[in-house]
Amino acid sequence: MKALLLIGSPRKGKSASETLGAYLLRGLEAQGAETDKLYIYPALRSEERLDALVSAAAAADLVIFSAPLYVDALPAAVTEVLEILHRRLDEHQRPAEQRLVAISNCGFPEAEQNEIALRIYRCFARQSGFIWGGGLAMGGGEMVKGKPLDESGGMARNVITALDLTAEALAGGQSIPQDAVDLTAEPLAPAWVYRAMGNAGWHVQALRKGTWRQLRARVW
Amino acid sequence: MNAVILNGMEPGDRSIASIQKTLVDALEERTWTVEPFILHSLDVRPCAGCFGCWLQTPGQCVRHDTDAVAASVARSNLTIYLSPVTFGGYSSQLKKVLDHLIFLILPFFKTVDGETHHVPRYRKRPNLLVIGTMDQPDSEGETIFTTLAERNAINMSAPRWASGVMVGEPESEAARETIKTLLTQVEVA
Repeated sequence: MKALLLIGSPRKGKSASETLGAYLLRGLEAQGAETDKLYIYPALRSEERLDALVSAAAAADLVIFSAPLYVDALPAAVTEVLEILHRRLDEHQRPAEQRLVAISNCGFPEAEQNEIALRIYRCFARQSGFIWGGGLAMGGGEMVKGKPLDESGGMARNVITALDLTAEALAGGQSIPQDAVDLTAEPLAPAWVYRAMGNAGWHVQALRKGTWRQLRARVW
Repeated sequence: MNAVILNGMEPGDRSIASIQKTLVDALEERTWTVEPFILHSLDVRPCAGCFGCWLQTPGQCVRHDTDAVAASVARSNLTIYLSPVTFGGYSSQLKKVLDHLIFLILPFFKTVDGETHHVPRYRKRPNLLVIGTMDQPDSEGETIFTTLAERNAINMSAPRWASGVMVGEPESEAARETIKTLLTQVEVA
């Protein structure tokens, strides 16, 4: 089985999208899958890379999107790639069955805020000839960004189990199991703690940058 | 009173161009000032997710390529999104601008009905009208689109919002009536 991971974060390797997607990809490799990983943002800046992305997506048995939630939906760059794939995939020879799954993470503590994004991926899958293999939604993505998931300590335990279950199911030609969906959606921290830490964090960062007094600026 | 139209059409989309004209006519008839932005003609790079608009230059993008749009939206009484329904969501042309406009809200969190959202930056916020177009009916896409519009209205703290999906011929009398009804829902009297 050929599995292709498409990372849809502009932060590329330093993102939660990378952390989650790369862990799943390693799980698929362990199950015997042939894997590849491409970054969406650089692909959109180069015709050659974009052609390679379209070719790779057309040839894959499993396409995995891993991206953040931007303004309640997919980042514009990921939307653009979906538009391009929808137009161009059928220019290529495609496997008889292609499965598509998605991992969406957001900066809010509630995983369910990713629901619209996952429904957009599912709609794309239906309209573009993929079997929808399900989606994983995670809140508080900021907490796992920038390092391998298995180095994130106990808070990542549920997500690790979920991605292990997901890799096993996908390698066996199945969709993402409900247990994996539920475990990924488990909050990494209580929502009120996340909000309090987040709010304090913005103040600290602004103080460091010397912009604390301008934080609430009304420019227009 | 003034309205801003963020038009996320692809070049040559006559359906959305026609809806924009109907909107402009209806608003100007009511003495509103209307400022349309055809977004595919703007040179806007995708949001880099750097949060510079919250921390480095609070309230505006560090690249300044959305300043004109943002200023108009911030000062408007009504902001209108126009987009082909794209897998249930907005087109990439519209989304590339909306992704930048998070600086119209603050990074700080608040709760709305027990759910986490951002605090608004401005006291006065525009009402929001979201209109999508489809060549053929697609109930899944339509439902997603309407829910997305509602979620955007919550996150941008829009006092009032409405959304509609226009299927097929946008120049019909029925389409014009639908647009008038939607405008009424966002207090265009």
